[in-house]
Amino acid sequence: MNVAVEVAVRVVLVFAAFLLFPLVVGYMEHKAMAHMQGRLGPMYAGGFHGWAQLVADGVKFAQKEDIVPADADRTVFKLAPWIALLPYLLVLVVVPVGPGGLVGSDVDAGLFYALAVMSVGVVGAVMAGYASANKFALLGGIRVAAQLMAYELPLVLSAVSAAMAAGTLSLGGIVGAWRPWWLAWQLLALVVFLVAGVAELRRPPFDMPVADSEIIFGPYTEYTGLRFALFLLAEYAGIVVVSALATVLFLGGWKGPVLDAQLGWLWTCVKVLFVAFVVIWLRVSFPRLREDQLQRFAWMGLVPLALAQLLLTAIVKVAIS
Amino acid sequence: MTAVDVVLLLLGALAAGSGVLVVTTRRLVHAALWLVVTFGALAGMYLVMTAELVAWVQVLIYVGAVVVLLLFGIMLTRAPTGRSDDLDSGNRPAAVVGGVVTCVLLVTLAGYGFSSAYADLDTGRLGTARAIGTVLFRSWVLPFELLSVLLLAALVSAIVLSRRRES
Amino acid sequence: MSDGQRETTPGAGLVKGLATTLKTMVTPSHTAEYPHRLPELPPRSRGVIGLFEENCTVCMLCARECPDWCIYIDSHKEPVPPARPGGRERSRNVLDRFAIDYALCMYCGICIEACPFDALFWSPEFEYAEYDIRDMTHERDRLREWMWTVPPPPANDPGAPAPKEVDAAAKTAAKAEPPRSNDAARPQPPWEAGDDGG
Repeated sequence: MNVAVEVAVRVVLVFAAFLLFPLVVGYMEHKAMAHMQGRLGPMYAGGFHGWAQLVADGVKFAQKEDIVPADADRTVFKLAPWIALLPYLLVLVVVPVGPGGLVGSDVDAGLFYALAVMSVGVVGAVMAGYASANKFALLGGIRVAAQLMAYELPLVLSAVSAAMAAGTLSLGGIVGAWRPWWLAWQLLALVVFLVAGVAELRRPPFDMPVADSEIIFGPYTEYTGLRFALFLLAEYAGIVVVSALATVLFLGGWKGPVLDAQLGWLWTCVKVLFVAFVVIWLRVSFPRLREDQLQRFAWMGLVPLALAQLLLTAIVKVAIS
Repeated sequence: MTAVDVVLLLLGALAAGSGVLVVTTRRLVHAALWLVVTFGALAGMYLVMTAELVAWVQVLIYVGAVVVLLLFGIMLTRAPTGRSDDLDSGNRPAAVVGGVVTCVLLVTLAGYGFSSAYADLDTGRLGTARAIGTVLFRSWVLPFELLSVLLLAALVSAIVLSRRRES
Repeated sequence: MSDGQRETTPGAGLVKGLATTLKTMVTPSHTAEYPHRLPELPPRSRGVIGLFEENCTVCMLCARECPDWCIYIDSHKEPVPPARPGGRERSRNVLDRFAIDYALCMYCGICIEACPFDALFWSPEFEYAEYDIRDMTHERDRLREWMWTVPPPPANDPGAPAPKEVDAAAKTAAKAEPPRSNDAARPQPPWEAGDDGG
């Protein structure tokens, strides 16, 4: 009985975080991007600085007509947004928020679990690209697939570097072993992880699959209403997940300057939001790469960097043990 | 029969059923998508058998990368969303014979070869990364390294084959 | 990148881009939230055209010059009794209708340029959207209302030569013709109400 209640509480909390954090990040994107471009962003919805803009957007999406193109593969078309969204929810379950088991579920090989489940989300975008019966969507789908294959490798390699340094695959264990000087030791891995993560999320400057100025909106071209909202939610949930993983792997999770035990969850939230801000910052600052530059950058730039970091990690690890 | 057995059987049925759908569906992309279900069910079976790491690697490599590669190939080369009736190669009897023979061989081999190899799932955690790593790099390090050399050779030869000849 | 303009350190451009966006973010933005804060428009903004009816002589120049024929003028003639006993009876034009269809108007301002009697003026007011296109035709009373929103013209730049009209008026005044008595009774445009000649 007690266990059931605890599980229920954990599930509810994770679900609440899953619903809340993407909205916070989305709002932050609205505001940060607006101010970086010398605008104000949403100011009216909800009264205070447009805080309810995304809620209003959700209401708008819910009212829209639900359209499935005539030639679309209906089942796959309808399934795709859920496939894209759900993995991020499942990843959030294993992200440790604070010390002492403040985590949805402590999986032993948590790192592998997170990376594995995250990569499933891409299948949703590929499905959407195929099922829409639209050549732009198809192009987008192909680009999604190509991009995933290119960036999955540096992502995993850089994450492995952190796991190697900590000597465990458990996300909680990695945070536990983390020391501030790792920031310098794992700096390269952090950069590679962030870049590959942004690419895996298909966020600018790596948003070739959805490049709206050339292939309309890639795999999401034919989507409207609630399904489109699900894709958008998936994008923001993806930012949260990548930021959370970067926080846990490289930034020391709940470890802060003071009061780790009491305020651990706060440190985690602050770090996650900061990384999310960096992701948004990159989006505003840099133009989109070309598709071939994107692939070249992954294979010729990130993979060697990640391997070099792996080597460095191994050398330092052996040296200090 | 415990709940774990039931789950294992259900997952097995799911894997087998979606596996059949992979080869019978008339839409090429659906075949790849059913493959996702098959691999997912397999990963679930590994999980039930406490082989955590293998399960996640299965998802990461097969669902996340191999199927995406398959979809990429399909969408790049032929992308009809409708049915295509030329998918049947007409080798049904041969395929059935091949499948049944493989099945019998595997079951017999596994039955004879590993009939005495039991692992107690309740006491130790055999499927954790630590346990698998220990076994892999202590008892089985030679075959493991041999395999990695084989894979490296395959990788290098793939690069060599795909490079344009300078003429 | 290729010729000459090569960056010294790789990634310097990226950092510069990040710095630029960050700097913009922490600088307050200049957005004016329009419905709550009205824009301060310069005096000659082309918002709407006001009609100063008393100056109109129904010469029809504005209506004829209008490129898209959006000015409607109706008038009739009224006899004016002779100014001196035994003189001839004159007639003058009386305005019956003066309307501008803002659904047609393209805000070229030619009517204002064309008016020889200073009866038409630009006003910066612009909030007169309607739900019915027919309501976009402003009749003379509405055009007169706009007249009171016309701001005074900006002062000349210091040292600028006086406008030609002022020179001409000064020459006329120098000929010392006594002002006509009925001039004072005429209504004046709002900015001329107090002082005369500026």
